[in-house]
Amino acid sequence: MNHVSSSYRVQYDVRPAKQVERRMIVDALQRLAAVGLPIADYQYTGFGAIYFIDFILLHKLLGLNKLLSLEQETSLESRVRFNRPFSCIDIRMVPASSEIPNLSRDARHILWLDYDGVIQKGFISDIQSALTILSPGSILLVTVDVEPPEDRDYREVDPSFDSSKEVLGPKHWKRYFEYHASSYLKLGLSDDDFGKSQLILRSTEILRAGFTRWIVARGEVEFLPMFNFAYKDSHAMLTMGGMIGGRSEKRLLTASSISDTVYYRNDFDSPPFEIHVPRLTRKERIYLDREMPCEDDWTPGDFTLASEDVLHYRDIYRFLPAFAEILL
Amino acid sequence: MKYASAEVRKQFFIDMFTRDISLEDCVLDLIDNSVDSYLLKHDVSISRLVFGSNGSPNVVADPGRIEVTCNDRQIRVVDTCGGISRERALHEVFCFGHSEGDELGKLGAYGVGMKRALFKIGNSFHIVSRTSSEGFEVSFKLDEWADRADWRVPIVFVEGAGSEKRAGTSITITELHEEVALRIKEGGVPNNILEDASSTYPYFLGECVNLRIDHTDVNPQLIRLGELNGVVRPANERFEQNGVRVTLAATVAPGQRKSEDAGWYVLCNGRVVVRADKTNLTGWSRELASFQPKYRSFVGIASFESDEPLKLPWTTTKRDLNRESGVFIKARGLMAAMSKPILTFLNSQYPSDTTVEMADIRDAVGGVKETSFKDIAAKPIAGFLYTPPKKKEKKTEWIRYQADVSSLDRVRRHLRRPSMGPGDIGRFTFDHYLKTECSE
Repeated sequence: MNHVSSSYRVQYDVRPAKQVERRMIVDALQRLAAVGLPIADYQYTGFGAIYFIDFILLHKLLGLNKLLSLEQETSLESRVRFNRPFSCIDIRMVPASSEIPNLSRDARHILWLDYDGVIQKGFISDIQSALTILSPGSILLVTVDVEPPEDRDYREVDPSFDSSKEVLGPKHWKRYFEYHASSYLKLGLSDDDFGKSQLILRSTEILRAGFTRWIVARGEVEFLPMFNFAYKDSHAMLTMGGMIGGRSEKRLLTASSISDTVYYRNDFDSPPFEIHVPRLTRKERIYLDREMPCEDDWTPGDFTLASEDVLHYRDIYRFLPAFAEILL
Repeated sequence: MKYASAEVRKQFFIDMFTRDISLEDCVLDLIDNSVDSYLLKHDVSISRLVFGSNGSPNVVADPGRIEVTCNDRQIRVVDTCGGISRERALHEVFCFGHSEGDELGKLGAYGVGMKRALFKIGNSFHIVSRTSSEGFEVSFKLDEWADRADWRVPIVFVEGAGSEKRAGTSITITELHEEVALRIKEGGVPNNILEDASSTYPYFLGECVNLRIDHTDVNPQLIRLGELNGVVRPANERFEQNGVRVTLAATVAPGQRKSEDAGWYVLCNGRVVVRADKTNLTGWSRELASFQPKYRSFVGIASFESDEPLKLPWTTTKRDLNRESGVFIKARGLMAAMSKPILTFLNSQYPSDTTVEMADIRDAVGGVKETSFKDIAAKPIAGFLYTPPKKKEKKTEWIRYQADVSSLDRVRRHLRRPSMGPGDIGRFTFDHYLKTECSE
């Protein structure tokens, strides 16, 4: 994974869809806490980079105070440490693969493998470790990029690839996925199944197969799906996640109000919850908010907005941040 | 109702079930029986052999002796491991498979090893076994036995050995099958057996039995594990599932390593079933990267222990694992997870740029000290951890720079020392600056 860390590439704090996803996950955790899951005692492990947004949310809104941020980009170390928002966040400059086996077996965990690349061997291997190690009641989230693999990704599969002579297409993307995850793919897939729009499906299948494969050996627990988000700020992304649990955790999920939410997915067969953030002005949002939650067929009277956008907005308005410039 | 015949044919047993095992492994099967006799007789627990008991030495007072001789006329295994009772000889030992009520050993899971070894190796068998109080003798020829419909073998009762020390079993196989005699004539078979035995029984040899092959002592080939206090912490895991106790350890091995020794060692009731595995059986090339020489310091031990050997994940040849075994599948996941940080660590010995960290890591790899499976397993469950040494405060640092020759000459002229070397000029000017410009 020798590409530029996304900390350098992405301004994390102004990605509205990502933020909606985070707020929805927090919302779900609050609902689980309400039925007695001791979420505040969980340890959160994630990739805080230099922004620590998920860490701030979990600490402030849910009271988690065992927090661990992993960063493998050693050149960022001083910035990561400088930007650490709370003293209760522990920072380790190691890849996830080195730290997952060290996660305490006695504690419950929320582990968010929030990758910024297309699925690759290392991700699946981390999922394998996590599902082997995480205690019942723990929550595992995995985010991957579902855009087509780029030239630099593909060069790992075929070092002789020359981007000046050839343009990557479904044929190459198929090879890429087969190289990284062949045993997780269905048999009999053709090049067409790796067209750009299909990659989210393939990624979903791979993650889903990974979740199942590695939990089976544990017998007493299974992977209980909770989240399946698709969203796009710049790149199309996929986040899948759920709880490692047995009967009692299953009961807890059923008892909680999480199933009343629009984003909850208790199986990976249904399509993902797509986070669409309509482009709206502040004035429009204030107007819309007054009517929220609205009826299915409601549309604003004072300006034109497609009813589809209204419905998308209805799904996310509670979770959508408002951005404004602060002059510091 | 009509019935189709579904009976077992003797010839099938003789032909089929000797195919999938090597000559060497057959001899090891006979050695297993001897070791098992000893374990049963002296009630030695596998845990005690592998993990020791509360720090007391493992060695039992009076180890059994096993002598193997192997030439192109006969293969013979003689032991003083306690012998077989008449009762077991009559009802168990010569049967294929164990009966439900049979006394369970530790290394015999399937009840086929001895018979398969006999049939594989030769035509004529002579078995004498004596406990201290009773004995029996069995002699038969395979070709004659195969011709009879009767599955029984003739047995004669003989006197006991008179003492526990002399009690034991001898198995002599003569009229070796042509291909077996040929392989032995070809050479190397006794050496192979010696080599295999030394790597298969490291936890038994010298602990509860002493083994000789053709009058040569077999020394245990120990699986070497390493740690470095405060710097390299081995990973360890354990769990119990369906009556099988699993203990896993993975770390960096001490000393200079050959790639052949690297990988996972899998023990079933203390017997090494898989040695230095680097295949996808133990996660390599699948959950882990493919093995490369830079991982040659990697070593892991997976111990499966059970009072019911059938529950262990070994195959009948005891040279492979049953990949469908639930307990093995679970262990395999953990094995892969605990190996990854070690591979990352070993990988970081070879960064694209030379770094200080790299030197520290190489020092750590080179500096690990030998530890034991027992000591690792006694610690709380933990993952592999490398803690880089605290950076030492440097007392001196290099100053190194290029200077114009003309400038150096100016200094030489000024000092009237035409032969002054550039190093001395550097030192002199630096000292001069310190003296004239810097306060104490």
